Amino acid sequence: MSRFKLYTGIFVVLMALSTTQALVERTGLVDFDAPGTYWTAFGVILALSFVKATFVATYYMHLRWEPRSVTYLFLGGLFVALALTTAAAYSIL
Amino acid sequence: MSSVKRWFVTTNHKDIGILYTITALFFLVLGGVLAMLMRVQLWSPGAGVLSAGAYNQAVSAHGLLMVFWFISPFAFGFANYLVPLQIGADDLAFPRLNAMSYWAYLFSGLLFIASFFQGGTFDGGWTMYAPLNLPTYMPNIGGTTVVLALIMFIAAVTMGSVNFLTTMYRMRAEGLRMRDLPMFSMSILLTVWMMLFAFAALLAALMILAAEHLFGVTYFSAEGGTLLWTHLFWFFGHPEVYIVFFPALGIMAECFQTFTGQRIVGRKWFVLAMVLVALQSFVVWMHHMFLTGINLEIKTLFMVTTIGISLPFDLMVFSLIYTMIKGRIRFTTPFLFSLGALILFIIGGITGVFLGAVVLDYEFRGTYWVVAHFHYVMVGGATGLFAGVYYWFPKMTGRMYDETLGKLHFALYFVGFNLLYFPLFVAWETPRRVFDYAPGLTSWHQVASIGGFVLGASFLVMFYNLFKSMAVGEEVGDNPWEYSTTAEWAVSSPPPLENFPGKPSYASGELSFRDEPELTADGSGDGKPVVSVSPRSDGGVASGASETSSGPRSDGGSVRTEGATAGGGTGLVGGTGTATPAAAGTATTHGEERHADHASFWPFVVCFAGFLTFLGVSGIRSGGVYPGLTAVGAVLSAVGFVGFANESFYVPEPTVAEQWPFGGVENMKLGMWTFLASDVVLFGGFVGSYLFLRVANGWMHWHHAFIPEAHVTFPGLVNTYLLLASSFAVVLSLVAAHRNSSRGVVASLTVTWLLGVGFLINKGMEWQHLFHISTEAFPNGWAVGTNVASSTFYLTTGLHGAHVIVGLVMLLYMIPRAWRGAYLDDDSSLEYFGLYWHFVDIVWLFLFPLFYIL
Ligand SMILES: [Cu+2]
Repeated sequence: MSRFKLYTGIFVVLMALSTTQALVERTGLVDFDAPGTYWTAFGVILALSFVKATFVATYYMHLRWEPRSVTYLFLGGLFVALALTTAAAYSIL
Repeated sequence: MSSVKRWFVTTNHKDIGILYTITALFFLVLGGVLAMLMRVQLWSPGAGVLSAGAYNQAVSAHGLLMVFWFISPFAFGFANYLVPLQIGADDLAFPRLNAMSYWAYLFSGLLFIASFFQGGTFDGGWTMYAPLNLPTYMPNIGGTTVVLALIMFIAAVTMGSVNFLTTMYRMRAEGLRMRDLPMFSMSILLTVWMMLFAFAALLAALMILAAEHLFGVTYFSAEGGTLLWTHLFWFFGHPEVYIVFFPALGIMAECFQTFTGQRIVGRKWFVLAMVLVALQSFVVWMHHMFLTGINLEIKTLFMVTTIGISLPFDLMVFSLIYTMIKGRIRFTTPFLFSLGALILFIIGGITGVFLGAVVLDYEFRGTYWVVAHFHYVMVGGATGLFAGVYYWFPKMTGRMYDETLGKLHFALYFVGFNLLYFPLFVAWETPRRVFDYAPGLTSWHQVASIGGFVLGASFLVMFYNLFKSMAVGEEVGDNPWEYSTTAEWAVSSPPPLENFPGKPSYASGELSFRDEPELTADGSGDGKPVVSVSPRSDGGVASGASETSSGPRSDGGSVRTEGATAGGGTGLVGGTGTATPAAAGTATTHGEERHADHASFWPFVVCFAGFLTFLGVSGIRSGGVYPGLTAVGAVLSAVGFVGFANESFYVPEPTVAEQWPFGGVENMKLGMWTFLASDVVLFGGFVGSYLFLRVANGWMHWHHAFIPEAHVTFPGLVNTYLLLASSFAVVLSLVAAHRNSSRGVVASLTVTWLLGVGFLINKGMEWQHLFHISTEAFPNGWAVGTNVASSTFYLTTGLHGAHVIVGLVMLLYMIPRAWRGAYLDDDSSLEYFGLYWHFVDIVWLFLFPLFYIL
């Protein structure tokens, strides 16, 4: 029973955060001619995505109730992908 | 069962190991013949037996076949055969997946062979550099087929990696700690870890390349595109060197231990060094890119990491040398090959340092220095694998090879190898991948060509030896090697179908076979277990076997009867049986359940269907028989997967096993998570490519120049809502199953399905709209190949959409089952599906902002 409430609460949060991301876009912060505000909005929006992903992985995918090693396995894949992207992008800056 | 049929339906790890080995040897011969053709061509500078185009094809196919279809699968023949034996498991965790992995490997190779007959095979070099790999420069259908063959090969590799990781983490014999794995198993463990991530990056690169050929996306022809290919390729390509070399290193370590009677000196440090190399291998890839336009700081950084990676290797080399010094060497054939591999690797390693230094690399890149260095490393690795052939031949066949012929093989091999490759260091000014060279280098090339034929001939000796010995070789017992210590030598040769007489256990520090609980419970447990050698869990030298070891040696056949009566011994077989395993010959239902007939025809069918489909897709744009082949392949795939899913296939999970660090995570769940970890890297490759190209084209410029006004946030937001809701519905199905509500499960799964379909419809409408917009900037719509932004958008979200479709197909299978009341007692299938579905959801959570907002 409590799990059901927990899942529902998370669902509401996820929908709200997605809406927030779209709202940030509507406020004009995502202005491709104004790098200052653009990169702020960029940070906010991606941070929200990470928060949402963490909620889904932690509760819907039950990582919270698995041994920590499963999380590390998943993070390992993420780390590899980020390392490739960051280093490759940096190499041409 | 007829003996031919057996090989098509087998799922036993030993059978599959043999299939892998034989198939790999076939590709060795094929790749070797191509190499011989090249050496004939290079006998003198200028034109020869091959046309320019044929030479390019021979070079490319030789490289690709040897690197992909020979060397790693050859090592995985041994891995399949031996890892379960070494860790005390009955089989791999997923036997049918293992069979599927083999068939996917075989058919991917056949696909490659088919490419030769499609107007010419791939001719852009094994590194497949852009833009040469693009349809503009490679209009042959065969070029596309090779890309698809590689994709199918990676499917095989991924299935294998997931299977091995799950097996090695979850099915080790009691008392066998990870750090104590025998050296060969340890090397395979690290290899599959590298494979899991490295091949996922290559898969991303190849899927993009296939999309360039089939759908006309423009990644690699865009600004920064050629550099993008090198990044993706070498992010895979450098770890690949160690993926190839590590199994050989493991075999070398085993052979050094066995044939010097000396445990590897500094074993712990040796293993740590291997772990370090495996990690470091992912941060050195740009040393292949010193001549590209990447910035100088990062070149310097990668020079440092590259030279740094030689340090752990130094440690391993010295450890092997000290092992020889401290032990008493017996120069058997496996030892000679191991020693040869070490020498070749040392030469290959030293010459590699030249290439790792930025300044020297400017001089050597694109010359035969690279060719020579590369072959010393890779063929050096293969040398270690041939040590494995001789080392385990008696175990696999029960007969001994001919030692004299074995030594002759080694002599011809080693002399031929060095005659072939050492002159290439001297003739280093020869341009790579070109059949013409300065006439002054002719004599060096002639020596090399002679060496090539000696090397080739040495294999005739090997094949003759192995065939003859298989029939008339001296019969050997369980263990022909005096100081061998790993568990495979404790069972008969060849090992029985179920591997072990009872449950292997290392709980006492030595290998013993614990009886089935029922047997010991009634006090009849004596005498049954047989331990012919006493391997220690870490594969070190057996107690009493050499003067350096310590500790009294208990009598071989120690049986842990006390464990069997305690709780740990119960439930080995589900605790239902009353039959005694001693009476297994009477084939009670219980016994049949335990050693269920694991034969399955479906892995073969599915992979054959995949072969037809890929072959059809390769030429689908050119009509002819190809669309028909695609259709037949697709239908047969569907039949195959349904058959596969409906077949009851029972694999008991060991209840007494070491499972650190994944205790409490069932095999299936761990397999799913492992697969998802590789999928993260696949999507990472796609998203990373998008980010890289966007950086290369100017982040803001991208938005201004390439994106139409009509590409708005709203459809993406709707899809985000739909996917999140569908995730919630999947979670609700678990809640319903928990409440024993069959209708609840059906309802929530159906809602999931409808939301997923809604997602696809919404996406389809959006795409239709974008395809057909007609603005000043995009008068012909914003199609797949319009520009780099449209290409990245459609391909990345398309890959995601394909994941959604796969999920929907799974639901179509699950909903009727739920209707019939499945999943109420055991909701694990719902959970595994949920893992997949939520993961696809998570990916979208990032695609949405990156492709719609920012
Ligand atoms: Cu490298």
